[in-house]
Amino acid sequence: MGHDDRDSVLTVNRWNPGAGGLSAAPRWALLCVALAGLSLQGCGLVYDALQYVAPVATDELDAICRRQRVQVGMAVEPFRPFVFPAIWTDEGSRVTGLDVELVRHIVDALSQQCGRPVTPVLRLVRFRDLFLHLSEGKLDLFVSAVPSNVPARAWAGFAYSIPYFQHGGLSGITRQPDVAERIRQRFQPPSEASPGMTAGEQVLAGLTVAVQDGTASQHYAVANLKDSRMVLCDSLPAAFESAETSADPGIDVILGARPVLEYMVTRVKKDWQLLARADGKSFFLTRAQYAVVMSEESYRLRWFVNTVIFKLDESGQLERMRARWLDEPYAFPRRAAVEGLPFDVEKMVSQYSQGECRAGRAR
Amino acid sequence: MVTLMVWGLLAWSVTDVREALAVERAEAEETARLLAKLIRAGRLVIDQNQAVIDDPHKGDKGFTPDVFEQQLIEEFRKETTIDLRTLAAAPSSILIPPLAKELLPAFVLASKEVVRDAQVVINQRGIGYKNFIPATYGSQAARRFTSQSRVRLKQTTLQPRNPKNEPDEYETSVLKWLSGRPKAEAYVSELTEEGQTLRVVMPIYYAKDCLKCHGEPKGELDISGYPKEGAHEGDLAGAITVIVPLKAGSR
Repeated sequence: MGHDDRDSVLTVNRWNPGAGGLSAAPRWALLCVALAGLSLQGCGLVYDALQYVAPVATDELDAICRRQRVQVGMAVEPFRPFVFPAIWTDEGSRVTGLDVELVRHIVDALSQQCGRPVTPVLRLVRFRDLFLHLSEGKLDLFVSAVPSNVPARAWAGFAYSIPYFQHGGLSGITRQPDVAERIRQRFQPPSEASPGMTAGEQVLAGLTVAVQDGTASQHYAVANLKDSRMVLCDSLPAAFESAETSADPGIDVILGARPVLEYMVTRVKKDWQLLARADGKSFFLTRAQYAVVMSEESYRLRWFVNTVIFKLDESGQLERMRARWLDEPYAFPRRAAVEGLPFDVEKMVSQYSQGECRAGRAR
Repeated sequence: MVTLMVWGLLAWSVTDVREALAVERAEAEETARLLAKLIRAGRLVIDQNQAVIDDPHKGDKGFTPDVFEQQLIEEFRKETTIDLRTLAAAPSSILIPPLAKELLPAFVLASKEVVRDAQVVINQRGIGYKNFIPATYGSQAARRFTSQSRVRLKQTTLQPRNPKNEPDEYETSVLKWLSGRPKAEAYVSELTEEGQTLRVVMPIYYAKDCLKCHGEPKGELDISGYPKEGAHEGDLAGAITVIVPLKAGSR
């Protein structure tokens, strides 16, 4: 939480007046508690004692209601179809995608909860900086196809909602048919002789693998691909550009989120192909579910977001969203014009550049 | 004698009011016409820079609000011979009415604001089509200008992609009338709202470049996801409408 979100513990609970605000508390009780507090200094009971008379009203949900704004982070690098590139519309600059639709649902629910309209303030920042912005209190939450099960130090100490997208996972694409074939041969399905799947590190051994800085693919590569050459890219478009224009370092495979890669090779980069197993089935290095990321201490907000996602799931809305963004034919500028959200231009990086790629270390 | 004098005075004052009305209408009409030409020039500048704006290999496109302003002024000068750089010093006349001297720079400013706000979208590297096209520039510039002035400016068409550009009853009738006529440099000017406002409707015609999104085959989705209109070069694309309130008419 940001400093400006923290009020004194004596703040009146405006959203739950029946719970006992200051005005409702007898003054003598408060005096007693204050005296007790003086005698109990340092033992941690002051807080509890005060809460008894005037429960702490300010949590992250109350703060959002009070300011009528929720600060939402999103990756400035496109993760189609979850986050599309910012685009101009008749209404100004807008961003759209499955994650933006989810934010709309969360914001609608917040408005209902608060009893007055809550506006999303979208901040588009580099993916790798989202965690930093959240920990600095600049964001209430962020969403950008973030897997909730990545064992990485940089992703620790944050809270992840229940999943809003179940079909994630790490996969790879290539533009070179011989690389695709080599991987297909190496990636044998389980058999009696070898009941387990071939490990990803064996499949990708000796290849040059591009990953995006700070994403799950980088963390996977660092932890698992000791026999591959790693190329670290600032964004997925940078990886494509590097692979298509330069021979050194020649990129054999781009690793990334499977639904994002699938969208790219079927709709945008049609000369690339998804890697497959020898039996023709999809190539997955690992599975993942995508979640909304929040501060670890934001318990009420987490419950709230979990409930919103649960209800969307129960009503079938999550599945409709998935089909709408992943299966249907559409052009995102039109969706941006109709349902996109504006973003905070002032807070955006002054000039978004897809960045570049550089040699990385696999381990 | 006295009756004659009263009648004479009355006739003189009626003539005076009529003259004032005629002058005001002429000035309002010229101002509206110039505003419509200015937004058309702005659209042309965007069209001329479309390839740069949509270049995925370039980050900073150098298409700044100042660059846009210079090109806008130049296009407008070519079209009208009026140099907006020296507008303030130019003497007011029926060709450059005082209202135009006030409103033309205001529109340039509103347009520059639009280009400024779009910088973050325009300067993305790695992204090709950004939907910053003549139509979306025009809608935003017209809306901003209208919100800051008493003159209403709007782009409209019979088949609008943006519901906010839907024509009203009057615009629909003029657009239908225009669509049945060959392409011309003419415009429609009429007193509306019982003489309280003057409306000028200036047609826009499809150029070759527009047909990538608005041409054949009809119904096929264009790059932005809208069905193509099946238009041909020279067909009526829509119109720019300007509504100027008249002081004399509201007396």
